[in-house]
Amino acid sequence: MSIRLSSVNFRYPSTEFGVFDVDLDIRDGELVAVIGASGSGKTTLLKLIAGFESPDSGRILLDDADVTDLPVRDRRLGVVFQAYALFPHMTAWQNVAYPLKIRKVAPEERYRRAMEALFRVGLKGFEERRPQTLSGGQQQRVALARALVFQPKALLLDEPLSALDASLRGEMRDEIRRLQREFNISTVHITHDQEEALSMADRVAVMERGRLVQVASPRELYDAPATRSVAGFVGEANLWDGTVTAADAVEVPFGVLHVRPGNHAAGQRVAVLVRPENIAVGRLDGGAAVFEGSLVRDRFLGAMRRYDLAVGDAVIRGQTGFRGAIDAVSIRPEHILLLPQ
Amino acid sequence: MLAAPGALVMLAFFVVPLGVVVAEAFTDGGAAFGRVFADVTFWRGLWGTLVLGATAPAFSLAVGFAVAWHLSGLPENLRTSLLFWISLPLTFSGLIVAYGFILAFGRAGFVTLSLVPLGSDPATFSGFLYSPIGLAFAYSYYLIPRVVLILLPVLVNFDRAQIAAAESLGAGRLRALFDVLVPQVMPSAVAAYCLVAAVAIGAYGTALALVGTQVSILPLILYSRISDTGADFPSAAALSVVLLALCTLVLAAGEFYASRREHRGSVL
Repeated sequence: MSIRLSSVNFRYPSTEFGVFDVDLDIRDGELVAVIGASGSGKTTLLKLIAGFESPDSGRILLDDADVTDLPVRDRRLGVVFQAYALFPHMTAWQNVAYPLKIRKVAPEERYRRAMEALFRVGLKGFEERRPQTLSGGQQQRVALARALVFQPKALLLDEPLSALDASLRGEMRDEIRRLQREFNISTVHITHDQEEALSMADRVAVMERGRLVQVASPRELYDAPATRSVAGFVGEANLWDGTVTAADAVEVPFGVLHVRPGNHAAGQRVAVLVRPENIAVGRLDGGAAVFEGSLVRDRFLGAMRRYDLAVGDAVIRGQTGFRGAIDAVSIRPEHILLLPQ
Repeated sequence: MLAAPGALVMLAFFVVPLGVVVAEAFTDGGAAFGRVFADVTFWRGLWGTLVLGATAPAFSLAVGFAVAWHLSGLPENLRTSLLFWISLPLTFSGLIVAYGFILAFGRAGFVTLSLVPLGSDPATFSGFLYSPIGLAFAYSYYLIPRVVLILLPVLVNFDRAQIAAAESLGAGRLRALFDVLVPQVMPSAVAAYCLVAAVAIGAYGTALALVGTQVSILPLILYSRISDTGADFPSAAALSVVLLALCTLVLAAGEFYASRREHRGSVL
C-alpha cells in the first residue's frame, strides 16, 4: 500500500518547529528512511502520517484514499515507538494479541495469531514473559510483532534501534529489513543514524528545519548529495569553500583542484565535496591534484586508517588501508563534486 | 540494635495503650460489646461513618487523580514546587481546617454570604457543611494531597506513549485509557482510596470543631462517651476496638487487592 504526502504543512503552536511543504511518495512495499538532526521534523512527519497530529494544510493519502482527517485508530498503521511502548501489565503474547482483541477476534484465534507472530519474530518460548523481563532486542521484536499482527496498511518505525546497544543494532537492522520484505509492507523508518538509514532503506529522505531537502537512493544520496548540508550529514566528508576559476578548475583554500567540466561559471562560489575514501595516498599522475603536507591526526581502526593531513591552514581528511608514512595525497577530478554554497 | 529505640517507642506508645484498650473492652467478659451493639446511636454512627468513609475518599480520589495526572506531565522543577503547595494542607491542624471552612462556608461565611444575591439561602447552604457529605467535602481538603502523593510516582513513571500505542493499534481514547492506564494505576488508586478511607473513618478533630456532636459518626460518639461524667469505659473501649477493626479492615482490603494484582496477569 502506498503512502502519499501532498503539500503537508504543520507548525507547533507558538514555535518555529514543524514540517513545511512536504511532498513524499512511498511506494507499495518500499522502505523509506527519514533522517535529519534533532528538531528537523522527522518524528513530526511520522506523527502526521500516523494521525497523532493533524496537518495545518495538505493531504495524506494511503493507497489514494485521503486519511488526513481520519483518527489514529482508523488508519490501520503499525507503529513501533522509540521505547517500544509495550504494556507492562500484559505478557508478550497478550501485547501482540491486543490489536486483535480491539478488533473482536475470537480468543482462540487471537492467541493462535499472536503466537504465530511471535514465532515469526523469533520469540517462540517467550510468550508468557512480561516486557520488563525481556532484553531490549526481545522487547523490540514484541513491538514489531504487535505492529504487524493485525495486517496494517503500512509500518511506521520511530527510531526503533536507538535504545539498543551497538552490537544488537546491526542484528536488528537485518531483522527489521527481513520482516519488512517478508510482509511486503510500505515502511517509514525515522532515524538520526545515517548509517542505519543507508544500510536499510530503499530510499532515504533527508529533513532539515522541517523541510525535505533530498529524497534519493542511499547510493545517490551518498555520491550525489543535493546540498552542502546533506553532504555533511550523510557520511564523512571533506567540504571546502571554493571558487570556480575555469570550466575544469576550482580554487580551494590550499590550492587548485582539477574538476570535470560542468555548468559552473567562472567566479561562482561553490562547496567542494570529496569523500575521505576518495583521497588517494601519494602522488598520482594523470590529472590528479597533488598536495603535500604533514599528518596532524592518525587513527588506526583495524581494517582502515583515518588521517588528517594539514596542507597550509587547511586539513584534508583521508581514509586508507595503507599503513606506511603519508606526506602527500592526490585528488582525482572524478572524485570531486561541486555543490551550491 | 539500630531499630531498638523505634521498637521501644512502638511498644510504649502503641502496643501497650492498644493492649490496655482491648483488655478494657473485655473486662466484663465482652458484655460491653453487647451494650454497644444494642445502642441505636452506634448503628446510626456506623452508617454515618460508612457514608463519610466512602464519599470523602471517592471525591478525593477523583480530584487527586486529575491533579496527579496533570502534575505528572509537567517539567520536574514546576512539579516539585506545585507539590509543595499541594502538600501544605497536610501540615495544618484539623482545627484550623475546620475554622477555615466555617469562615468560608458557615452560616455567616464569606462564600455563603456571597451567594445570597444569587438567591442562595444561607441556612440551607451552610447546613450542607454540617452533614456527613459536607464533612466529607471538608475532609477532602487534606485527603486530596495524600491521594496526589500516592498516585504521582506511578503516573510520573507511566509511559504515555502506551496510550498512543494503544490508539495506533485500533483503540479509541477511552478504551486505551481503560485498557492501558487503569490496570497500571488501579493498585495504587485502591491503596490510596483505602488509606484515605481509614483516615476519614478515624478522624475526629475537624468533625468535632466543625459540627460538634451534631453528626453521628463513630469517632464523635466515642468522644462523647469518654467525655461524659460517669463514663462507661468498657463500652468506650469496645467502640474503640470496633473503630480500629473497621480501619484495619479497610487498609487490609487495599493491601489484599494490591498483592493479588501483583500476581495476576491481564486477562485475555
